[in-house]
Amino acid sequence: MNENLICTDLHNHSCLSPCGSLEMSPAVLVQGAAARGIDILALTDHNSTRNLPAFAVCCSRAGITPVFGLEVNTVEEVHVLCLFSELEQAEHFGSIIESSLPDIANVPDIFGDQVIVDPDEQVLGFVDISLFSSSSISFFDLIPLVLNKGGLVIPAHIDRPGNGAVSQLGFLPDLPYSAVELLSLPPTEKTYGSTVISGSDAHDPSSIGRRSFFITGHKEPTFETLFVALREGQVFCSSR
Amino acid sequence: MREKFLKGSSIHNHLGYTEIYLPEKDFSVTSGFTSDLLSDVMANAEEDSVLMTIQAHRNSVAVAALAGIRAIIICSGRKVPADMLTAAEEHAIALYTTEDNQFTASWKIADLLEKS
Repeated sequence: MNENLICTDLHNHSCLSPCGSLEMSPAVLVQGAAARGIDILALTDHNSTRNLPAFAVCCSRAGITPVFGLEVNTVEEVHVLCLFSELEQAEHFGSIIESSLPDIANVPDIFGDQVIVDPDEQVLGFVDISLFSSSSISFFDLIPLVLNKGGLVIPAHIDRPGNGAVSQLGFLPDLPYSAVELLSLPPTEKTYGSTVISGSDAHDPSSIGRRSFFITGHKEPTFETLFVALREGQVFCSSR
Repeated sequence: MREKFLKGSSIHNHLGYTEIYLPEKDFSVTSGFTSDLLSDVMANAEEDSVLMTIQAHRNSVAVAALAGIRAIIICSGRKVPADMLTAAEEHAIALYTTEDNQFTASWKIADLLEKS
């Protein structure tokens, strides 16, 4: 393995996400990521951070650097990855987002269960309100909100036909993103000099690591490294 | 007063919209809802309605199932992906496509409902 390439994947779901496979516990995600050589891994469930405590333990066991996140659905239905170095920061932010969701119940038969688990895949409970809904926070307010809290903010799959910045807003606004995630590279949309990354958006074990990217020119797989690499554009996307 | 309703088959027969999927049993709709924000559909669409939208993906079907929507008209010539069709079959929600935009499809449906 090239010691100067740090394999990174910042977009992954667990069984907490309504569309996430029930098999996709944080333990399974982390094991799959470890098997694929991922060094820095984020868990980014839809609008909730309730599986991050289990994710933290699993990453610690596997020797993977955890990034604590969630994929916020803004009021315009744009998906945005919000990432933090510390579990508590992410959980606090997650509670703000969850409390901004409308009081619409999840229907497990249609959307699947929203399962909270522990590091050993024991079920701790379920989230009853639909995490598929959109929060009341606008895209334009979310970007500075995350940055001001010291987090990384990355519009997700901006080139997807649904739930991307382009499909929902018409174009990607010129804002100080930490990076921009695309499905197809090189980008055909304007990204205003933001670092462009890929992300697996894994919802089931078979898609873990399918669109990881590499950080170049660093040795230590830390959140600080990630922060600097995204700022300086020290990334290499090899997938697809 | 008799409630106005529209037989599902008339969406094709009267408007010429392309049938992508029809449930085995014909169905009726009593109102329409037009939106491209699925959270809006979830919160506000009426049961037994027809949804006019450009959101041509499977999540629209899931939201329609949640809201009790009976049919989806995908507007502006957008294409229905295979997994959206599969979802429609699973939930027995009719799927149509049209070159009409959401405005035009909406008034045509409203017109049909008015005349029913």
